[in-house]
Amino acid sequence: MRSSVVRLDRLSKEYNRTVAVDDVSLTIEPGHLIALLGPSGCGKTTCLRMIAGLIRPTSGDVFVNDERVTDIPVHRRNVGMLFQSYALFPHLTVEENIAFGLDVRGIAKAEAAKKVASALSLVQLSNFGKRYPAQLSGGQQQRVALGRALVIEPAMLLLDEPLGALDKGLRESMQVELRALQRRLGLTTIMVTHDQDEALTMADKIVVMRDGKLEQVGSPTEIYQRPTSKFVAKFIGASNLFEGHVEQRSGGGALIRVSPELSLEVDEMPASATDAMISIRPESIIVERAGENAAPPQVNSVAARVDQAIYRGFVSHYYLKTSGGEQIIVFEQNQSQQAGLRYTVGEEVVARWGSPSNHVIARH
Amino acid sequence: MDERFSGFGAFILYTITAGMMIFILAPLLLVMAASVSDTYFVTFPPQGFTLKWYAKVLQDRDFLEAMRLSILLALGTTVGSLLFGVPAAFALVRGNFFGLAAIKGFLLSPLIFPALVTGLALLQILTKLGSQDARVNLLIGHIVVTSPYVIRTVVTSLQLVDENLEDAARTLGASRLLTFWRVTLPQIASGVAAGGLFAFMVSFDNYPVTMWLANSEYSPVPLVLMRQLVNVFDPSVPAMSTIIILMAMVGVLLLEKLVGLRRALAA
Repeated sequence: MRSSVVRLDRLSKEYNRTVAVDDVSLTIEPGHLIALLGPSGCGKTTCLRMIAGLIRPTSGDVFVNDERVTDIPVHRRNVGMLFQSYALFPHLTVEENIAFGLDVRGIAKAEAAKKVASALSLVQLSNFGKRYPAQLSGGQQQRVALGRALVIEPAMLLLDEPLGALDKGLRESMQVELRALQRRLGLTTIMVTHDQDEALTMADKIVVMRDGKLEQVGSPTEIYQRPTSKFVAKFIGASNLFEGHVEQRSGGGALIRVSPELSLEVDEMPASATDAMISIRPESIIVERAGENAAPPQVNSVAARVDQAIYRGFVSHYYLKTSGGEQIIVFEQNQSQQAGLRYTVGEEVVARWGSPSNHVIARH
Repeated sequence: MDERFSGFGAFILYTITAGMMIFILAPLLLVMAASVSDTYFVTFPPQGFTLKWYAKVLQDRDFLEAMRLSILLALGTTVGSLLFGVPAAFALVRGNFFGLAAIKGFLLSPLIFPALVTGLALLQILTKLGSQDARVNLLIGHIVVTSPYVIRTVVTSLQLVDENLEDAARTLGASRLLTFWRVTLPQIASGVAAGGLFAFMVSFDNYPVTMWLANSEYSPVPLVLMRQLVNVFDPSVPAMSTIIILMAMVGVLLLEKLVGLRRALAA
């Protein structure tokens, strides 16, 4: 199995004047797994299907290893694809399903049988060859689909919400398993998902899409820690977003006034900006009981009242309300010795955080 | 469904079902009974018992000739309407083109438009085109009348097929044609079989269109039957009818054996 470079060059797709995919350019490094992430209707599936060759782009091109494949029909592109519905052929056994791609390629029976057997063992279903898809669980069916896609030694693997129909627990273990296998084979993989956890768990690179356009491309860490837009900040994980104006500058940083009781200190601030949007992740905020700390700091801190408190096992969620009416979400990891929630609804608290947690969002 | 009906609801349901069955089957049984009557006219209840009318019918050259023509015509119609109807159904379900709804309505139209009008229109067109051969005209006419049945059953079964199956097959290296043959067709086989059976049966006992397109040389069974009915209404008419009923039953049983009729019609 070889690793391919996949390149999208100004790819667009229009349906009856509505633009599904709008001028998308992207390079996928060999052996990487990238996740196209976004809400439904953002064009991620259309993008994937254009890469597969199932949809013809209105304009733009797809390159695989610098070869233009835009005009090559899907059945000669040699792509392995997984679907949310598994798409196993119900009238064929597991073995026959996996052999399908070899069969249509005219590979001799004996050689095909060998490949099918090794594919079956790769997906750990060696004893299931004679069964029909309907006799398998969802997870097993998707393994068969994976074996069927891998046995043709595809140039790339395309995953269309592959684990979307599975239970949470199984989905998470399949994510890890699929990722390990993909790494081991070094197979260039493009995955479509609307599940941010899945994207964060599996991808080398996340491509956030919105309204057919690329919103942000980056590693999971970059996407999570340094979202470039309000949309990404809200779509990936939870975020506290504050808008304010630059009150004072010092070096490269600045002091941002959000409200009379809240000002934020940022370490880096674009020189020209007078207004700013700041994102603070809920887990970077520390909550203290009011009066616990003699003098609460003047910046990156605000007095608030606990509005809602939710115990979620290893973490507690607190929804705080400031006197100015702003809501602040805080995630606090629970200690094993701890007896439930540390703060109760109605309690007066102080929320504070360090200035590195204040992330300036470039685009509102 | 695992749950069975029970109690009063079941009683009502079974009664209505039984009533419907009697309503549908009684005329057929009546015809069958009349065919063994040892009289020179059709009577019910039958008097005596004889198979001589069958003997007469099976020696009747007009009837045997008509049977041969009707069977060949029905077979040709079945093949023709499948060749036309299956791709049409495919286009209607998988396609996405301007006027799809209108074309769908049009292709299913002989189910709405009276067959009598269709037959007359066909006669006029075929005459204008100079098509003289009654056999060809009948075949064309019957394909026109039966294709909607094929399209309808295939459309319904095709709608149940996960389109991703076809996408998966194509990514695995199968061309569109091979995908249809290896993946789609096995999924819709029951619908195709049901459509084919409908086409055969509808062609076999079609009167209103046949009436316009047949001539004295080539008369299918329904015309011969009708002619006989008008001339001498003796028990040979119910005998002919019984033979046709038995043929239909054999066809239905065959389909049940091959693909499972309940599955075929459920599709």
